[in-house]
Amino acid sequence: MNQPALLSKQNIIFVLLLVILVAFPFVADSRTLTILLTQIFIFGILAMSYDILLGYTGIVSFGHAMFFGMGAYTTAIMLKEIQPTIPVFIGSIVVGMILAGILSFFVGLLTLRLKSHFFAMLTLAISGLLLVVAEKWRSVTKGNDGFTFRAPDVFKDRIVFYFCVLACLVIVFLLLRRFVNSPLGRVLIAVRENEQRTRSLGFKTLHYKVISSIVAGVIASLAGSLYAISLRFVNTSMMTMDITLDALLMTIIGGVGTLVGPLVGSVVIEFAQHYLSGLARNYPIFERWIIFFGIIYILAVVFFPKGIVGSILAKVSKWKQQDQVPLPEPKERLK
Amino acid sequence: MDLLISLVINGLATGMLIFLLAAGLTLIFGLMDVLNFAHGGLFVWGAYTGVFTYAYTESFLIGIVVAILTGILFGFIMEKLIITPVYGNHVQQILITLGFMLVLQEMIKVAFGPNAIPVSVPTYLAGSWEIGEVIVIKYRVFIIIVGFIIFGIFHYILTRTKIGLIVRAGVMNKEMVQALGINIKRVFLFVFMTGASLAALGGMLMAPYSGSIYAEMGMEFAILGFIVVVIGGMGSFSGSLLAAILVGLAGSFMAYYVPFLSLAVNMILMAIVLIFRPQGLFSMIRREST
Repeated sequence: MNQPALLSKQNIIFVLLLVILVAFPFVADSRTLTILLTQIFIFGILAMSYDILLGYTGIVSFGHAMFFGMGAYTTAIMLKEIQPTIPVFIGSIVVGMILAGILSFFVGLLTLRLKSHFFAMLTLAISGLLLVVAEKWRSVTKGNDGFTFRAPDVFKDRIVFYFCVLACLVIVFLLLRRFVNSPLGRVLIAVRENEQRTRSLGFKTLHYKVISSIVAGVIASLAGSLYAISLRFVNTSMMTMDITLDALLMTIIGGVGTLVGPLVGSVVIEFAQHYLSGLARNYPIFERWIIFFGIIYILAVVFFPKGIVGSILAKVSKWKQQDQVPLPEPKERLK
Repeated sequence: MDLLISLVINGLATGMLIFLLAAGLTLIFGLMDVLNFAHGGLFVWGAYTGVFTYAYTESFLIGIVVAILTGILFGFIMEKLIITPVYGNHVQQILITLGFMLVLQEMIKVAFGPNAIPVSVPTYLAGSWEIGEVIVIKYRVFIIIVGFIIFGIFHYILTRTKIGLIVRAGVMNKEMVQALGINIKRVFLFVFMTGASLAALGGMLMAPYSGSIYAEMGMEFAILGFIVVVIGGMGSFSGSLLAAILVGLAGSFMAYYVPFLSLAVNMILMAIVLIFRPQGLFSMIRREST
């Protein structure tokens, strides 16, 4: 991939989309849709952070929800205990990120030297352990009942919060895009493609994997903070497997290793979830919409491993190749 | 003293249930290099089909048989549908088996309802014996005995019969077994179905022990199963028994003396094993360290 020009086709599409999203609340005055879009942005941030792990470094973590929950709880507790103002809110995001960074550093150091199976299993176990701790530590977390708190007054207006989340999304997207295109990100991709070869080229792969898990954990914590504000409520369900599965599903369906893919995935999944749970009022089977997701997900893993965006990109690059002068046949080149 | 004995019996009974789950996992991993994240789903399906049959026919034995049959059937379907297409790709295997776990768990809620279902112990296994000061609950002893019988049977099959020889050889080096003219795919299917039926049996035995069954218990027990497999060593059948007993005992003692640590102790055990002996305590496979 050559260095993207400032006015490449890709960037123009992004800016157009951004303009539409910025203009959206002024044009359509739909409360439900605004809330849904806010939700999509938050889960988009989470799914992008997961993509750094799954798509760029090629490791499957089942413990991503713990960082999300950590951010959510940090924000909720600080806003409740100190005071619900903007500086405290920003401070809580920073504190949550630092805590998540420290946690992911230690978890990564402990687990990332293991092979994929063991790593997945150990992250599952550690996040299960943290969930139990959170449920038992009722004096702070209030267990499964959770607690409500007051968000800063500015966020009473849904539209202000919408813009705040949108801004976070754009910043995170730009930062992560810079990150994966940096030399560091290239090494991560090399780890994904062939870890042994990367190591024999002289890179300490463990370091790079730990860095990748820290970046993913920190961003997930940001998503958690925003999510807590959007609900004005936290409980331990924010640390359960369901959150990890959501992120996983969005990343896989949207397309791994593309950064845009997880965003598309989050749009698809959130809309589908909204629509299907609407249908559940008439058809009780849709109450268990997770089944449909599970089946779609299995089919996606087997038949559609590149996801939506990945498949489109593959098609596009095929077209471009056809436009160019055809390459000589492989056999001829060998001669 | 009486406290000690009842804690040991508790721990052994739980350990046996985990062993039934972990034995399948460890053999499947050792032989096929597949870590089956959906194993807990088979456990729950065994429990639900078994319990419903038990409630319908009022015979615990038929319930057990139905649970085992369910396990075999699901094992067959899973191996053919889920495992074979992604054979050899670790990331896809992890993702797809987890997805299937999700589907199995939700299907339970569709087929049997989302609420927990109470299960009673059959009358001839209910109650307890009093030996001196010690009260021994019959059903727990029953589980321990069944666990040891199963271990004995499978240990015999693995060490004394031809199919066991093939499985053990496959765990060590499957390419070589294939080169000697054995259809390893069929052995895979056989081992997978056996592992699935053991998990289903474990679920069924678990039901009266805990008193109620619910869809999420599959994942909870699967996590314990993973821990046992890691501690015991991937692919080691006897290792998984020892590790399961260790985890069961640690759990029951901790639950009594230090309740807060009862779940943490397993994680700590696993973390220690993974850091100092990543191949597990009793591993049969020599694998290159990473």
